[in-house]
Amino acid sequence: MSTRSRTGAPSVALGATADPRLKRSRLPRLLLVVVIAALPPLFFDDYWLFLVAQVAAFAVATLGLDILYGRTGQMSLAHASFMGVGAYTGHLLAGLNQGVAVQLLGVLVVSVLAGLVVALPTLRLSGMRLALVTLAFGELLAWVLINTTDLTGGTQGTSVDPVVIGPLDSSVPMQAYLMALVPASIATLIVLHLGRTQMGRRMLIVRDSETAARSVGVAVARTKVISFLVSAVFAGVAGWLYAAVAGFISPPDFNLFASVYLLVAVIVGGAGSAVGAWLGAAYIVLMPQAFSLVGQPNLYPLVGGALLAVVALLVPDGIVGLSRRLAGRFRRAEDRPNHPDRPNHPDRPDRSTSGGDR
Amino acid sequence: MTSTSPPAVDVRGLSVRYGGFHALRDLSVNLPAGRIIGVIGPNGAGKTTLLNAISGFTHVTDGEILLDGRAIQGWDIRRRVRAGLVRGFQTVRLMERESVLTNVLVGAERLDQPNALAQLFALPAQWRGRRIQERAAHEVIELLGLGADRDRRVDELPFASRRLVEVARVLISYPPVILLDEPAAGLDQEGRRELAAVLARVHERHPSTLVVVEHDVDLVKNLCSHVVALESGAVVCAGTPDRVFGDPRVQLAYFGRSADAPA
Repeated sequence: MSTRSRTGAPSVALGATADPRLKRSRLPRLLLVVVIAALPPLFFDDYWLFLVAQVAAFAVATLGLDILYGRTGQMSLAHASFMGVGAYTGHLLAGLNQGVAVQLLGVLVVSVLAGLVVALPTLRLSGMRLALVTLAFGELLAWVLINTTDLTGGTQGTSVDPVVIGPLDSSVPMQAYLMALVPASIATLIVLHLGRTQMGRRMLIVRDSETAARSVGVAVARTKVISFLVSAVFAGVAGWLYAAVAGFISPPDFNLFASVYLLVAVIVGGAGSAVGAWLGAAYIVLMPQAFSLVGQPNLYPLVGGALLAVVALLVPDGIVGLSRRLAGRFRRAEDRPNHPDRPNHPDRPDRSTSGGDR
Repeated sequence: MTSTSPPAVDVRGLSVRYGGFHALRDLSVNLPAGRIIGVIGPNGAGKTTLLNAISGFTHVTDGEILLDGRAIQGWDIRRRVRAGLVRGFQTVRLMERESVLTNVLVGAERLDQPNALAQLFALPAQWRGRRIQERAAHEVIELLGLGADRDRRVDELPFASRRLVEVARVLISYPPVILLDEPAAGLDQEGRRELAAVLARVHERHPSTLVVVEHDVDLVKNLCSHVVALESGAVVCAGTPDRVFGDPRVQLAYFGRSADAPA
């Protein structure tokens, strides 16, 4: 309607930005997200709210790793280390009586620096060799954390002062959840938006074919470095947030296994998808709890490992890819009988026929 | 429409050596401006190497490549792309899990792009550029007859369409110099005819110096107004299709028979 009222520019009518499908589908999705976000405070007790707040914190990290691994195709075994960089930077600044703004700024700056250190080898390396370099960074950080006991508490770990912003106090689960939602939402919006930018497309083509990327003029090395920096910043903020929510951090939170679990999260959830990153974050936070709940905490690594193998072999696109495939099959089966039931169905003759060949 | 006429590519004394193997030896050829140029020759003649050298994918051992009079053999790929020289590949290299639209849009890299921060945070700086790019993508997708498949993942498409997607990725910015490496490889007769028609249509609307490496003699004859025949890394003959295909050396080298043998 609004496009029609703008007179004098009929030729722009078929412009891409006026795609009606996009605009129509956005509002219900947004509502769905709001409803889902409102569920935990309504139905969960404090303990579960505390866990869900952790999910939000981890989602920032998995969203960042999704940019790096899911979209740009660069393997990182240092992502929990980046979280550690953020967590301890925030903790140290809080110890110096700095407020939230300074803490956050410090986390951003140090994360960028850490990201740069790890990103530079990407100019020359890729695949397994790159993963090994990131692994070395992770081990180095673990060593630093353990051996600077007076700053970090060493292997014993250290309790972290709650972050207080206005009326919100991160030591109260409900408020921690609300606080964690803000950076998590921003991170989600950035990742969703990234898919529509040339930056996002550069990452995808670097992942799929560096040769093709070069042929269209993409600066491959620069794209990788930017991807590393962005994901390091995401992880740093996630670590800071996690520290505030959990109230306690220790080196094992940020070791190699933690990094591997982040990768598992991205792969199980569905690489290259924001929803997948959230599902992955929920998986790595809630799964261990679910096993504890049924009194079998030791089963988690076993079942988790088996599940990863199954996902990697059978559903390479993760949970998101699986559900998309199922939905596609469902829609195809339903397409014909449903047509008369949807009088508002827009006249798009190509959609239904292009989907399936039967 | 606003663009000036496309540039010529002039190759002078070009040699490319891989170890002891001379892929190209002292090759000189002019790729005339604004024409569709066919590069033919038997396997190993150096067709792809010539394309790689011009597009910057192969290190040049010796010689000069002039784009509009400027020597570009020392430029990196990105700079050549920015200058308007874009290539396609013999093997289709696409983002398999992405849509046709995404695959085509990535080719807009050659057009001006807002900086990384503006893109990450959706700053207004990028809005205008995005609209222009999306319009360009839609136009080229329609032009190549891919409109119905625009939002489908490319791994769901038949091979001929995937080929066209790659061509569309090259064409989205309508570069003044286009290099295509066997765009008809793997297509059936029908697909080849369609591709030739599409390329001719594109060339008519958006003049360029379009270089096509191709095996298919009919396609080259139909499409190209200038043909370069290579053999063993050197030019055997260059000129109009009639002249080149009538040349006894070309007949011998390319068809493996002399000119007086029955057709």
